[in-house]
Amino acid sequence: MSGLTDRSWWPSTPAARGTVADAGLAALPTALAVALGVVPLGFLFVESVSPPVTLTNYAALGGSVYPDVMLRSLGIGVVITGICLTVAYPVTYWLAHRCPARYRLALLVSFTLPLWLNYVVLNYTWVWILAENGLVNVLLTETGLADRPLDLLRGGASVVVGPFALPSLSLGLGFVHIYLPYVLLTMYVSMERLDYRQVEAARDLGAGPVRVFRDIIVPETYGGAVAGALIVYARIAGAFATPQILAAPSEQLIAQVITAQFYDVLNYPFAAALSVAFLAIVLVGFGIGALSSDVRAELGRW
Amino acid sequence: MTSGSSQMTLRTDGLVKRFGDTTAVAGVSLAVEPGEFFAIVGPSGCGKTTTLRILAGLESPTAGEVELAGRDVTDRPPRDRETNLVFQDLVLFPHMTVAENVGYGLARDGVPEATRREQVEEMLETVGLSGFGDRDPASLSGGQRQRVALARALANEPSVLLLDEPLSSLDRTLRTEMRTELRRIQRDVGTTFLYVTHDQESALSMADRIAVMRDGRVVESGSPSTLYNRPRTAFVADFLGDANLLTATVQGRENGRVTVEAGGGRFDAAADTGVPDGSVTIVIRPEDLRPGGETLSGTVRSVSYKGAHEEYGVALDGGDSVRVRTRADGDVTVGATVGLDVLDASLVTEANTEDGE
Ligand SMILES: Nc1ncnc2c1ncn2[C@@H]1O[C@H](COP(=O)(O)OP(=O)(O)OP(=O)(O)O)[C@@H](O)[C@H]1O
Ligand SMILES: [Mg+2]
Repeated sequence: MSGLTDRSWWPSTPAARGTVADAGLAALPTALAVALGVVPLGFLFVESVSPPVTLTNYAALGGSVYPDVMLRSLGIGVVITGICLTVAYPVTYWLAHRCPARYRLALLVSFTLPLWLNYVVLNYTWVWILAENGLVNVLLTETGLADRPLDLLRGGASVVVGPFALPSLSLGLGFVHIYLPYVLLTMYVSMERLDYRQVEAARDLGAGPVRVFRDIIVPETYGGAVAGALIVYARIAGAFATPQILAAPSEQLIAQVITAQFYDVLNYPFAAALSVAFLAIVLVGFGIGALSSDVRAELGRW
Repeated sequence: MTSGSSQMTLRTDGLVKRFGDTTAVAGVSLAVEPGEFFAIVGPSGCGKTTTLRILAGLESPTAGEVELAGRDVTDRPPRDRETNLVFQDLVLFPHMTVAENVGYGLARDGVPEATRREQVEEMLETVGLSGFGDRDPASLSGGQRQRVALARALANEPSVLLLDEPLSSLDRTLRTEMRTELRRIQRDVGTTFLYVTHDQESALSMADRIAVMRDGRVVESGSPSTLYNRPRTAFVADFLGDANLLTATVQGRENGRVTVEAGGGRFDAAADTGVPDGSVTIVIRPEDLRPGGETLSGTVRSVSYKGAHEEYGVALDGGDSVRVRTRADGDVTVGATVGLDVLDASLVTEANTEDGE
């Protein structure tokens, strides 16, 4: 080019200029991601290996109740996510395809109403319903169905099914109440995208309800289920307020243990190590899921 | 049910379907014979799709009965009926390969994997798609997807194949080609086809028999040539092709023919139905008016060139206007006076479509 201008830093071709513009556009999200995600994580990690540089905090994770608590947190996350999906599938299918159109919006809004309320308030409604002198027990004793109040709130030993400990009644209800709406919303979006005529085509070719579900509904709405599960799973496993309010004494979850280390024991490095380790375990779980190309393809649609 | 109905593959009796206030189907009775290519034609919204969905079991009728091979299936779900439906928009399963799509019905019938693979390959060959089994439906052309939909619906050998305007999304050339193909495939597999369309040309060129629908009812049914050449209603005459409808007075009658006076001339017309007295309507196809005759006379108002033939708009001296279609020879000009011979005409009941009855 001529020597008239010396803007050699300025790209001379439209394509190259496009690249600069792209980089500019990408800068903001990248900065956000660093500020919101990487920096806090970095601090957390630095804290967890202090006083620099030691691994004693991590070594201590294997002892005491910590492995049990982590396992329980992950297990309850899986169970509650599974319950949410089990409820959300038929409900969103009905809502998107069988419900008369004029009721659809009203129903969708009422299903997702809990999203607009503070979850501590939601948790306390269950205390009010399930307490020893709460709604259910009053009804049961007044009608004579039970001769004394049942131990519904924070009660009952956890039932263990395989590797998973089932949550107590009050904890399970509290979790489902808060997190079901998220799963309903994401599932509804992909359920609505399912072409109902595909269901009809399968039925026409001889499929019964079970085959229609397996062959059409699941493959076509997989994305919504995965997205819903991803959104709620880690939040359930890492929840603090809900187990604090509704869990039985024997079912402490990881966030409660971490909080105790921060506020009661004031052992910041160990609390940080617990957080990092739990995050790592959750991420490994996601990683295994995301490694299967099937799941990746479905996630790509989101 | 009734004896003697066993010959019919498919029979319906007084089917009615209402959606709230709209009556989509208002009493349809059909009888389709085994191996027949039967077409239902009618304008948009006349209830064709609804009728087909009732036959498939995807919609339950408000009233009436559906009988398949002598068995009442009115309340049976789709999987208990030996009918398969080819949807208007095909609705292939996007997450399955072509072979999985075609084999789906076979798998649901419990056909073992190995046999299934063979039958799918055979079916793909029938529709001209050998070797496409592993493809993704989305990677196929419109015509190929059409064939997959057909193969999927034919694979588990239904006794009746229901087709809902399956060619409407194709361009003209492909549509013509697919019509021939459909007819060939139907002969090859010997399955009864019930074909629904609003395109009278498709119906006329493929079907053994046609039922013309209007406002949820069957107006007339019969072979394509009967319906085209001897329509009994003005609606059918008009719907199945271009038609000149003229008001006429009956001058004389003798077994199946009448002499009428219309458009300022006197000529013979076929009359299959009872002939009312006084004013009647007759239909003359544009190609049945031959210039150079003396029966009718008029003035040419327009000439349009259509490739193989020409069309004139002629204002008859008697007051009516008619369309005339002849081989293109280019020696007729606007404003010229022409004489016309009537080669064929039929008497129809019922006034013009728009006028109601
Ligand atoms: N699910 C439904 N709910 C309400 N009305 C319906 C429904 N399905 C069809 N209709 C109405 O019934 C009538 C017949 O519809 P149908 O789809 O059977 O017509 P069609 O002959 O197939 O028309 P086209 O040639 O346009 O496909 C229409 O007036 C339509 O609006
Ligand atoms: Mg239709």
